[in-house]
Amino acid sequence: MRRTLGIETEYGITVDGVDSVDVVAESIALVRAYTEVVPPARDTEMKWDYSLEDPHLDARGFRVEELMQDFDEAKYFVQDLNRRLSFQEIKSDLVLSNGARFYNDHAHPEYSTPECKSLRDIIAQDKAGERIIEECVRRRNLQLAGRGVVKVFKNNTDFIGHSYGTHDNYLMDRRVPFETVIRGLTPFLVTRQLIAGAGKVGIETEEDANPGKFQISQRSDFFSVLVSIDTMNRRPIINTRDEPHANSEKYRRMHVIIGDANMSEVAGALKLGTTSLVLDLLEEDACPMNIELADPIAALKSLSRDPTLRTPVVLTGGRTISPIDLQREYLAAAEKRLRGHGADVDWVLATWRQVLDDLERDVWSCRDRLDWVAKWWLLTTFVEAEGVKWDDPWLQSLDLEYHNVRRDEGLFAELVREGTVQRFVTDEQIRQAIRQPPPDTRAYFRGRCVEKFAKQMTSVQWDELAFGVEPGEAVVQLLNVFDDATVQIYNAAVDNAPDVATLLRSVKHERR
Amino acid sequence: MPDRIQRPTGPAPWEKKEVDEGGPRRPDATTPDTKELLKKMRRVDPNQARRYRQRTGE
Repeated sequence: MRRTLGIETEYGITVDGVDSVDVVAESIALVRAYTEVVPPARDTEMKWDYSLEDPHLDARGFRVEELMQDFDEAKYFVQDLNRRLSFQEIKSDLVLSNGARFYNDHAHPEYSTPECKSLRDIIAQDKAGERIIEECVRRRNLQLAGRGVVKVFKNNTDFIGHSYGTHDNYLMDRRVPFETVIRGLTPFLVTRQLIAGAGKVGIETEEDANPGKFQISQRSDFFSVLVSIDTMNRRPIINTRDEPHANSEKYRRMHVIIGDANMSEVAGALKLGTTSLVLDLLEEDACPMNIELADPIAALKSLSRDPTLRTPVVLTGGRTISPIDLQREYLAAAEKRLRGHGADVDWVLATWRQVLDDLERDVWSCRDRLDWVAKWWLLTTFVEAEGVKWDDPWLQSLDLEYHNVRRDEGLFAELVREGTVQRFVTDEQIRQAIRQPPPDTRAYFRGRCVEKFAKQMTSVQWDELAFGVEPGEAVVQLLNVFDDATVQIYNAAVDNAPDVATLLRSVKHERR
Repeated sequence: MPDRIQRPTGPAPWEKKEVDEGGPRRPDATTPDTKELLKKMRRVDPNQARRYRQRTGE
């Protein structure tokens, strides 16, 4: 598997022991705590270049005038005027030596992994984000000195209708028509929660509000349309934001917003791996295209609300199929076309098959790999031992605690400690990922520039770095740095350069 | 000239030489002893989810 991958995760934050919590202020303080840890990160503070972003561009070939979230953004902007902080100070962007971006997104600390090309690297980087935030929590609590205790959760909901995202991103060939992507990907994404759902206690939509119902997915309640550019309101199964952060004539960034935040390393690797294989199939014109859901939104919700997996998916024309068999349609196509295409691909195919077989045979047998099953098993154990009902608020508190990033408190961390969940990466690989960028993507160039030249950097974006060079700036474009040979040239250049001037002699740049 | 690599000023846990908690491995497939897990779950504040209020994100 050599596709460029990335994960963006918005974390939830709260403070125990105080009367009210300003989540924006806490998110800012938490992110800034990291500048105490790694000086090069401090030197990148507030250098993220927002002028290169345009979330209004739509992959269907047009630019929308307004996003639904623009109204929320405007409201928050007015509220945030009272803080006497600039836009950049509120965002508090940092770029880390591992190539990641770490900042305050609205009211959530967000960790965006560097671009990775292997499943091992992307999971190690995702876990590195958890460790970085865990360390920020420790430092922030030292600052507070008993005036409240900050807690951070890698989840996607506050149980009363506010959701925040975990987005998985895939660089893909732009020649695949977007209509084909929609048709081929939708049934897969609707049923992907079987392997990648993080589990949730409660239904949050008003018409079906039920605090005692266990669901497979954290996010399924929050999706209401099939296709849209929006991400905060009327969320779509297929998001059309067209920001490739790459050469837009060659590449598309498939921005998948429907995923849950995974604690399980295996579930995370399966989520990224299976989705990448389906994109391979789309690019090779080998994706199953004869599966059409009668009502994708209804299927998404009904599947999530039946962890026994007995609810079938209704196809156009009235035929039904089990969600496991629907996933098997994609698995079969991938096995036929992609088997033998590398160790990652073969691991995904074998693990995907095993998990689907195990889910069909005995759902509980997947509690060592899948978040929703592990959480369901934990909560069921508690319900049986304590005699509490499923609508007891304690269950949602335990659900939340599953996602606590503090490893001395979190319930998922306890499962790891007890050895009852499978690992996909080692602790040593995670420790290295906290500092080191993946070696085989352009993130290495970015991360090493942060490590060596952060003070001279004037702005940063995924696809561009700028350095202060009198009398102006030198800009290094990374729009086409994806194939192995080009990546190697840039990465060797930064390794060999003792200073910015030498670096600029080795790579193409523009003066401005 | 050697690389001018800056180092962190404060200790972070990942800097310590610690015993690795583990890597990829098969789980214990037998029925787990739930005593410790239940003890940990009982310590969770039953009302923490009620107090947990977030802004909508993306």
